[in-house]
Amino acid sequence: MSGLRVAVPKGAIFEDALRALGGAGLPVGVLRENGRRLVYEANGTEFIVSRPSDVPVFVEYGAADVGVVGKDVLEEQEPNVVELRDLGTGACRMILAAPAAEAAEVEEAIERAEIVRVATKFPRTARRYFENRGRQAEVIALHGSIELAPLVGLAECIVDLTATGTTLRENDLVVLDEISSSTARVIANRGAYRLKNPEISVLLKAMQPEGILGG
Amino acid sequence: MDRLPTRKFTTTPGTRDILPPESTRLLDAQDRVRERFRMFGFREVVTPALEYAEVLEEPKLRDTSFKLFDPDNQTLLLRPEMTTPIARLAAQSLAGSPPPYRLSYSLPVYRRASVGRGQSAEFHQAGVEVVGSGSPAEDAGTIALLVDVLQTLGLRAPEDFAVVLGQSAFYGGFLRHAAPEAAPRLLAALAAKDLVRVDELSRGLPKRIGAAVREMPRLVGPAADGSVLDEAARYAGDLAGGEAVAALENLREILAHLDAHGCLGAAILDLGLIGRRDYYTGAVYEVYASGLGFTVANGGRYDNLLRRFGKDLPATGFAISLERLISVLPHEEAAPLLVLVGASVEATRTANELRSSGVPVLQLAEDLTPEDASRYARSVDAAWICYPAGPDGLKLVPSEAGSEFVLVSPEGVAGEVLR
Repeated sequence: MSGLRVAVPKGAIFEDALRALGGAGLPVGVLRENGRRLVYEANGTEFIVSRPSDVPVFVEYGAADVGVVGKDVLEEQEPNVVELRDLGTGACRMILAAPAAEAAEVEEAIERAEIVRVATKFPRTARRYFENRGRQAEVIALHGSIELAPLVGLAECIVDLTATGTTLRENDLVVLDEISSSTARVIANRGAYRLKNPEISVLLKAMQPEGILGG
Repeated sequence: MDRLPTRKFTTTPGTRDILPPESTRLLDAQDRVRERFRMFGFREVVTPALEYAEVLEEPKLRDTSFKLFDPDNQTLLLRPEMTTPIARLAAQSLAGSPPPYRLSYSLPVYRRASVGRGQSAEFHQAGVEVVGSGSPAEDAGTIALLVDVLQTLGLRAPEDFAVVLGQSAFYGGFLRHAAPEAAPRLLAALAAKDLVRVDELSRGLPKRIGAAVREMPRLVGPAADGSVLDEAARYAGDLAGGEAVAALENLREILAHLDAHGCLGAAILDLGLIGRRDYYTGAVYEVYASGLGFTVANGGRYDNLLRRFGKDLPATGFAISLERLISVLPHEEAAPLLVLVGASVEATRTANELRSSGVPVLQLAEDLTPEDASRYARSVDAAWICYPAGPDGLKLVPSEAGSEFVLVSPEGVAGEVLR
């Protein structure tokens, strides 16, 4: 009986999230029963399943008390939530990449502060990266198939997330720079973190990987 | 060319017309809040909606402000909050009278809202500021007033709401003494509420300091049992330094006063709460209501803000967000109202008689069918309709569709309607 509403992301970190929440004693089995529902309830815990990028929205507005989401999404959205635990799973890197044939050319264009076009699902992250390098970029926000953009001349390079690099290799893209690395995080609504602190503390303690904070 | 010109006759993004019954709820809440503020000796002030941009120092607030230019090409902004304008007012206009100044306000503030985030560009704040006293009794007094206001409006603690209380000088003071090099990065991480980053940074520190750095901002618990402060003192141990020790002592004093006010049960301690504004220097607090993900009110001590305006006066206060507050209030019955249908002189006379017996009357000087009268009455939230019926009688009907009328004397109306 946790009394919590937990937002779980679909997709790449779904299984990691379930393992962490299940390991902490939450009844996650119910999430595997019927793939079409949006809200699941078991033993007083409610689960909602949403797109990863919507998890911080549900949590910020208090529609969910806690959620599991990648650091990459948090860096992109900068939601007003409490970031409580690094699950250490779902590791991936935010990278700048370009077609292998034009990589040197793109690198040089950025060096010379020429305007380059960047396709990405993470427009704020991309803009921040270029601003930190003292450069401006034309950021084109897309919702999927980012790798397609440089192949058809929509953009010269991309800022995207990669775990294994397979998709990049398949599309003949090479990494020009690593922007940041990301793992799955546990976040909480600001109000729920205080008003339901006993329940959330129990959950966090049960999730804490042993030894990670030893030093 | 018969093309219609494109005109923007809607309200601007983030602003809206507030209609009854919501406007009634908002204004009623405002009245009741004001009454409680007066009960605690606060006097209300009104400041201009426009301020010079220099008045505001906080970068986040400046960024979110609407800006415009005056005839001398000076940058002005629409006030994004009330604490800074009141600090300016206290330093400038009250210099002749003895502090502390206990001032209240109830005014709209303006912020550029992000589209798609459900935020308003104009919202109403009611709050108080005590300028010129550094006493923890004033911190506790303003918190107690806040609790009093919320309870007066029908919320119960701790079921419906809690005041989350922290002390921004505790963690900061500890870091400046025990881990001065890492302090700025740790405080930035905590301000972003990123406790994972705090954990990461703590790993580079000596073991005992690292453990304290990690655990202190995670100390959350009811103020009524002493465990949070005891644990904080245990982690601080001999590492703390004067500033952190004084901050804990300050919290203890505030809690003692809250206990005397009888509202300790409404408070939750959170030593990771350092306040969303850079100007906070001591006790900081936020009010959360169950079922709402946002703060209903927030406040704290800001002892350095008035230096900006040339006065060295400590101060503390809070602001309630009225739209958020009314969204969590228990539902209340609409105020009694009677629609009197009739355009005759007799109807006018009856309306006056009824008002003098204390019945709120809306005279509708049209001859409507009962169906239309009932529809009209429901559109203005009136529970009753009446028609003059002869020299000494009235037909009284509830406004719900299909209700039966009763014949009553004018004196009998008050008994029915004001029940």
